[in-house]
Parts: sequence; structure tokens; C-alpha cells
Amino acid sequence: MATANDDEILEGFLCPICKADLKSASQLTSHFESLHSEEQDVLRSLKEIFGKAKKIILNNDDSDLKETFDRALKFSYQEHRWLDEEQVIGVSRSSTDYLKAVRSARLERYATETNKLLIRLDKLVCNMPAEPNQRKQHEQEVVPWLDGSSVKLCPNCAKAFNLTRRKHHCRLCGSILCHDCSTFLDINVARAIVDPSAPRTSQPDHEITEKNGLRLCEHCFNLIELRKQVQESRNAKTVLVTAYEQMRSLMDQARPDVAMYEKMCQSLFDGETTYNLTDVNKMRGRIGKLAEGIDLLSKQIAAFPAEPGTRQARLQTAIRHAAAHYIKEDLISLRKLPTEAQIEEVRQQRYERAEKQIQMERERMERQRQRKEEIAGPSASRVDTRQDDEDSPLLEQMNIIREYIKEARRDMKYEEVAILEANLKELKKEYHLQKLSNKS
Amino acid sequence: MNVVQAVKLYITKMTEESGPGMKVILMDKETTSIVSMVFSQSEILQKEVYLFERIDSHSKWDNMKHMKCIVFIRPTPENISLLLRELRYPKYGVYFIYFSNVISKADIKTLAECDEQETVREVQEVFADYLAVDRHLFSFNIVGCLQGRSWNAQHLQRCAQGLLALLLSVKRRAVVRYEAASEPCARLAERVRDLLRREAVLIDNNIPFNGEIPTPQLLIVDRRDDPVTPLLSQWTYQAMVHELLTINNNRVSLAHVPEVPKDMKEVVLSSEQDEFYAKNLYSNFGEIGQTMKSLMDEFQKKAKSQQKVESIADMKNFVETYPLFKKMSGTVTKHVTVVGELSACVSRHNLLEVSELEQEISSQSDHSKHLQRLKNLLTNEAVRQHDAAKLVALYALRYEKHASNALPALIEALKTRGAPEHLLKSVVNLLEYGGAHARQSDLFGLQDAVKITKRLFKGLNGVENIYTQHTPLLKDTLEDLIKGKLRENLYPTLGGEDGPYGRRPQDIIVFIVGGATYEEALCVHQINQAYPGVRVVLGGTAIHNSTSFFEEVKSAMQGVHRTHTRHIRNV
Ligand SMILES: [Zn+2]
Ligand SMILES: [Zn+2]
Ligand SMILES: [Zn+2]
Repeated sequence: MATANDDEILEGFLCPICKADLKSASQLTSHFESLHSEEQDVLRSLKEIFGKAKKIILNNDDSDLKETFDRALKFSYQEHRWLDEEQVIGVSRSSTDYLKAVRSARLERYATETNKLLIRLDKLVCNMPAEPNQRKQHEQEVVPWLDGSSVKLCPNCAKAFNLTRRKHHCRLCGSILCHDCSTFLDINVARAIVDPSAPRTSQPDHEITEKNGLRLCEHCFNLIELRKQVQESRNAKTVLVTAYEQMRSLMDQARPDVAMYEKMCQSLFDGETTYNLTDVNKMRGRIGKLAEGIDLLSKQIAAFPAEPGTRQARLQTAIRHAAAHYIKEDLISLRKLPTEAQIEEVRQQRYERAEKQIQMERERMERQRQRKEEIAGPSASRVDTRQDDEDSPLLEQMNIIREYIKEARRDMKYEEVAILEANLKELKKEYHLQKLSNKS
Repeated sequence: MNVVQAVKLYITKMTEESGPGMKVILMDKETTSIVSMVFSQSEILQKEVYLFERIDSHSKWDNMKHMKCIVFIRPTPENISLLLRELRYPKYGVYFIYFSNVISKADIKTLAECDEQETVREVQEVFADYLAVDRHLFSFNIVGCLQGRSWNAQHLQRCAQGLLALLLSVKRRAVVRYEAASEPCARLAERVRDLLRREAVLIDNNIPFNGEIPTPQLLIVDRRDDPVTPLLSQWTYQAMVHELLTINNNRVSLAHVPEVPKDMKEVVLSSEQDEFYAKNLYSNFGEIGQTMKSLMDEFQKKAKSQQKVESIADMKNFVETYPLFKKMSGTVTKHVTVVGELSACVSRHNLLEVSELEQEISSQSDHSKHLQRLKNLLTNEAVRQHDAAKLVALYALRYEKHASNALPALIEALKTRGAPEHLLKSVVNLLEYGGAHARQSDLFGLQDAVKITKRLFKGLNGVENIYTQHTPLLKDTLEDLIKGKLRENLYPTLGGEDGPYGRRPQDIIVFIVGGATYEEALCVHQINQAYPGVRVVLGGTAIHNSTSFFEEVKSAMQGVHRTHTRHIRNV
């Protein structure tokens, strides 16, 4: 984690040396001009130092700077011969199955117990009478209370029951406990637990008492609480998660687009006619749109309210960092398109090369024909099977493919365009050959 | 065998196994270093890991159930109890747990029992348990592995576990050889052998025995056999930076450099992330200067060509070529700063002269001449006390048995020039640590006529020069090993199904108890070039420069009675 240079996100028209934001390209250029004259000084002083050190340390002359430079920047990697040997991933050992076995054996006990409690809880909160006495009766019908006549001490804190420390019952297991050892579960919360579709109530600010809560022993309360937490974490799909997932899906879309763009660009530079400049420009536009979307979403994420310094705040900033870095490195730094003139030039060159080849091919065939005639005599010369150009099935096929290409292009399905263009090329070649052999 | 790649693959595996989603990685102090050696923060961010948390931090609990947590820790008892605490009150939605070494079944059972919320999805052992410095260099970052001449128990355990992990991470089943004369080497070799035996099933299941190739060898040697190499001034880029500026986990602090730009106070030098550095790691100082100069020329040329530009289109052009431009200038500025500081050090402290004498003392034999020049240098005020002590220490080792040995007088001279007490002690400690009595190899006996001729010949090729005459002992040891000539009585073998006798190993892991150096890393690099098919990986308890080496020696000699230096009465 090389944090040294990555502390903040830098954007805008930055000076590559002092990293000042110059707001506009023209200002940056002029800043650069009047630039850092100190860079010159550094250079000069370095030259001096190296000049001295070099004479002693190095035996070679300083004539070939260019070569040193090339050596430094071009990565032939010839000295790392081992790169040939691909490092495979090392040994690892999983204990996940063992962990799960131990865990489920243990949790099964809890689970059956929890399920029993949940069924009781459901019965308790459903149709619970408001009138205290009726409610008490309802509660005891669902869960019979333990007979406490012989119990002298609270089983939990071992303090003696008396007039001020009275006996109470846990509503879920019916066991006896004192008031201090009781915990109250909000009835609304209880309803939400047994019925996840019920509206979620926010944390109540009122105190939960006998009246609006269920008296529970510590053990029962913990089991129910655990259940509640698992449930909550399952449903915790916040706005953050939604925005994040959207952002990632845009990134997933951008990845193949960038690869396609590079491919198309290269094809243009190679003088191929598979794609035209408009295609590639459209592609660039689409990537730009995606970049905008990612930028927007990541800014939204960074702006979600979070207390400064908390994990949540750091998370949101980091997501924004990552997105900005991704946009900068992968989306904005796309290769520049060639100009029409450049394309024309390479295409011309390519065309000339092809022409030359065809010419040579023609001459070769001509020579072959003559040789054949010499051997077989003039009588065996040819049969004219000349076809009418306009009716050639090849031409018809080519036209169909041209239509397809148009469609694919409109839908920006450039993979298809490439395949179709290749087909078209094959057909053209075929057609040419046919014409050639017809002539001969 | 590429140890950087090996660690990277493990970490990538961790980030991939947890699937898509926002992730946090929870680490301890050591695993944090392990990860930061091979990945930059921005690289990790692109793997959807947004938070880096320490398992031992005491920050307050947060509900972060929307995040996946990758736990990557060493399996120490402290870490495990911290992890149990985390699982009892899980902050994150799910946990993917990776231990960097072997963990007991009992510990996993305890984990399972704590995981009442069923948040754990994976528990695995991955063996990224060492600092991968370069593709053929690793370290455990332990300075002072010996205390009073024998292992600190914790460090011994750490090194043995680390070496086990290394072998598993590069998938090699190796036999263990060690330097017979060294007690610490024998201890470590036995411990590694025991660990390998304990994990025999794991090894058999994952690293099939291959009778076609010679058994890989893990060779454990002692720094005490060559105390000279860490003392020498260095002239290749990486080694020089470490000697003069100190590299710590691939980071170099330049905070002490006057008027250093804010973002250069600490720079990262990693061959994984910095192409210029990767390319120039082993270039000598003069070459680096040349390269930098050419880079700056090119940079200036670019800058100038942009200056003339005025149309909007051209400005766009400027910005479009900008990412590359910035990358280039960023790298150049960084290295200019580093190299500038190195040159300043060289001239400020007369390092050329110091180095020349160091090289001669270590590689030639001329007592009276060396003594004279040493005395002269000691009176030179530009020479740092540290370098003066280094020179005297070299002299002490080189001419320990010489009839006219003048060490007491030289120590007196050090005192006169005001060298602090700890440096005087370092000289004596060093002699006690690595004097003739402690060495198995004939460190200075290499001065036969044949070798000297060879060296002169090399010098004529322009490859070597007066500042790089010395070759570390490791080179001879490795070449003997590669040729199948390393003597079994001096370097016996432990364990393994197939003794190495007479077979020339292709895969070699050499580990130096007491620390390796970048000069030795360079030497291993050269051997890898020179012997096709041979792959050597070098490791050490630490990667030393002369300063940390003095620390190492001090710790090793703590409480040891002087037996071989009693005649030096003035310290
Ligand atoms: Zn500037
Ligand atoms: Zn009680
Ligand atoms: Zn109960």
C-alpha cells in the first residue's frame, strides 16, 4: 500500500511537477512555461555531481547517452529470465468444513430452542388483549408459569424473595426471576420479529415496561436478540449498497468497452477498414457516458452522511478514491484517435501494398498460363466461362452482408461488425480471384 | 520461484474468494507489512478492498454489516483471542479468515464456538508468511535474532514457520542443509525439519514428488561466517540507498533532507510498482546518474515542445498525453531526489575514498599499506565516525592474526577523533562475533593468484572496478552448491526422502541467520543469470545495512564474555 503519493485525489489541470491545479489548460501551459526554473538547477547540479562520480566509478565514456536512456526506459526484461517460469499459487488448506460442522452441531441446539421460543412469541403477541388481567391469562395459556411456591431465592441472582423483591415469570419459558433480573422486549419489536413483513419501528425512545413490553429472562432475551440481529443484517440493503452496486455494474460494462475501443483504435491505426472513425468515436462517447455515471455515483456515495473519522466515512471516501482512480487510469487515459488524414494515409499505404501484391499475383498467374500453353500447345487454351458481373451470387451476398453491417453498427455491436467485415473481406477476395481466373 | 508473485497470488485469492462487494481487510502488524510489500494501496482499492483495519486496534464498535471482512493474520495466540472477540460481536456482515501459517484444530473449534451469528464463511491457511522484498529476496524483519549467541526462542519459531511457509508458497519439497559449525543454524534446520514432518500430509497432497528434477535444497548459513559483506559501502542503487538512507519495507524516509518536497518525505521504492527502479536496482551509481540525466533531458524536451503550443487543440493534446507525462515526471522527480541525496552523502563524507580502502582491505593483502591509509583516513574530519569504525572493524577482521596487528592503536585513534563509546564497542563485538574463531570458511584466504588475475581481467571488461572488487562469500558457497561440490561434512543434510549427494540442485533457497544484504541479493541475481535452469532465492532474518548489522552484532554478543578480544584493553 504505497500511500506516499496517493494521499489525496488529484483532479483537474495539474502541473506534473508541483501538482498545483491551474484550472485551465491555457493557464497550465503558461505556468509550465514560466515554470520551475529550479528544475534546471537540479539538473545542472546533478550533471556536475554525476560528471565527477562517473569518471571514477565508470570506465565507459559518456558518448552514448541515448543508449542508456533507451536501456532505462525500454523494458526488455531480458535480465529477468525467470519471468518465463510462471509462479503458480502456493499451497493452502481449508478448515471451513470442520468449522461449519462444529458450529452447526452447536447452533442446532440453539436453533431448536429459538424456534420453540419464536412459536411461543408469535402466539403471545397475536391477539394479545390490552386489559391487564386478560392479558395475564392469555400469557399463561400460551406459556404455563412455573409454580414458585417452593422457590425462595431468585435462580439468577440468588437473592431472597420478599415483599420488596417479588417473584416474576419469564413470558417465554415461564421460569421464575426477580424484577432486577428481567429484561423487557418491546411488543412492537416482538411483532416485527415474528412477522418480518410488518412495518419496522425505529428504536423507541420511551422506556419499555411491563405495559408495552414482554418480561423475559436473560437467556430467552439473548436468543431472541440474536435472531433479531441475524434478521436485520439480512435485510440491511441500504442506499449505500444500492448506489455501490449500480456503480460497480457501470464499471463492469465499461471494462469490455475499453477493450473494444483499444481494439478498434488499433485497427484504425493499422489502416484496416473494419471500423470507421465514427464507430470509434461513438464508442469513446459511450465510455465517456459510463465514466460520468461512475463519477456521479461515487460522488453521491462520498456525500452520504457519515460522522467524520468513522469507518463509514472512511469507507465512503475510499470508494470515491477508487472510482476516481479507475476513471483516471482506465477510462480517461484512453488512447487518442487518429485524425482522418492519418487514417487516410495508412489506408493509402495499405492499399498500395495490396495493389502491388495483386499486380504480382496477376503476373505470376500470367506466367503460369503461358508456361502451360507452351507445354500443352495453343489448342488447349481455355474455355470461356465468363459470368455476368451483375448477376454474381457473390455480389448479392456481399450486399446482404453490407446491410447487416449497417444494422450492427447502428446498435453499436462492434464485435459483430468485426466478424461481418471479415466475412465481407473474404467474399471480396473470393470475388477478385474469380474475376482473375475468368480473365485468364 | 518468484516470492513476490507467490504472495501476490495468495492475496488476490483472498480478495476473489469473497466475491463482489465492499470489503475490509483486517490484519495484524506483520501481515500489514507482508501485504504492503507487494501491493500498492490503489491496486488493492481496485480489488474492492476499501478499509484497512488492524485487529489490535481499539477503535469503537460500528455496525458495518454491509461489508465483507477479509481477515489475514498470523496465527499467534494474541491474534486468535482478538479474532474471537471480533466474532463474538461482529462488526461486518461476513468473515473470510486466512491464517498466514498453520493453525491448530483446537483453535478452529474455539472459533466455531464463538461464531454464534454464523458470520464466518471461510477459514483457511495460506502461506504468505514472509516479507517478499524482491522476486528472489525475502526477509522476516528481525534485527537481533540471536541474544547472547543463541536464538531468541520467539525469533527461532518465527523463522522456522516462515521458512515452512516459504516452501509451501513456492510449492517446493526441499531437504534442509545447514552450516555445521553454527549452532543457531543447526537449531533452525532441525525446527524446520520438524515442521515439514508435521505437515507431511499437506505436502504430499499438494506438492507431488518429482523424481525428474533434483530435490530442491534449503541451505541455512550463518552471518558470522561472513561478517565483512554487511560492512562495505555499496555502489549499486538499491544497496546504496539502503546503506545511506535505509530502506524499510520498501519505503525510504527523506524527511531529513533539507527542502524536500512534501510528497517526497517518504518515497516507495518497489520494483513491482516502479519500472525505473525495477530496471535500475542493480545499476551502479554512475549509470543511474546517466540514466537520470537522459530522462530529465527527455522530460525537458517534452515540456518545451508543449510550451510553443497555443491552439486549443494542442492544449487538449497536452492534457491527453498527461497521464503518461505525470507518471514519468513523478518517477523522475522521486529518483532525482533520492539520487541527489545519495550524491550529497558521497561527497559530504568522502565515501569514494572510504569505499576504496574498504574494498582493498577486504579483497587484497598489504598490511602496512592498508594500515597507513587507514590511519590517514581516521584523521580526515569529513569521514563519519560510523564509517571510521567500519574501517577499523574491517581491519580488525582482516588482520586479526597478523603479526603486527595494530588494532589497539587504531581504537585509540578512534577515541582521539571522538568516536562514541558504542562504536568502539561495535568494533570489539564484531571481532568477537565474526572473528576467525567463529568462521567456518576461509573468508580472506581467497587471495590466491588465480583469483586476483580473474578479478583484474573482469576489471578490464569494464564490468567491475575498484569499488566493486569484493564478492560476498555467499557467491562461492552457492557456486559450490550448484556444482554439487558443497562438502557434506561442512553442510550436512537433514530429512527429506532423497539425499542431495552428488546431485546438482536447480532450486535453492538460501537463508542467512543474522541477516542478508542487498549486495548478496545482487550476487544471487547474477547467479540466476549465469546458470540457466538454476533458481536461487535468498532470505535473511533481516536485510542489513552496516548500521542495523552493528545492532545485530550487539544483540548477539549481549552478555557474552569476551574470550577472543581480551587483549584489547582500551575498550
Ligand atoms: Zn508547477
Ligand atoms: Zn434476580
Ligand atoms: Zn425465559
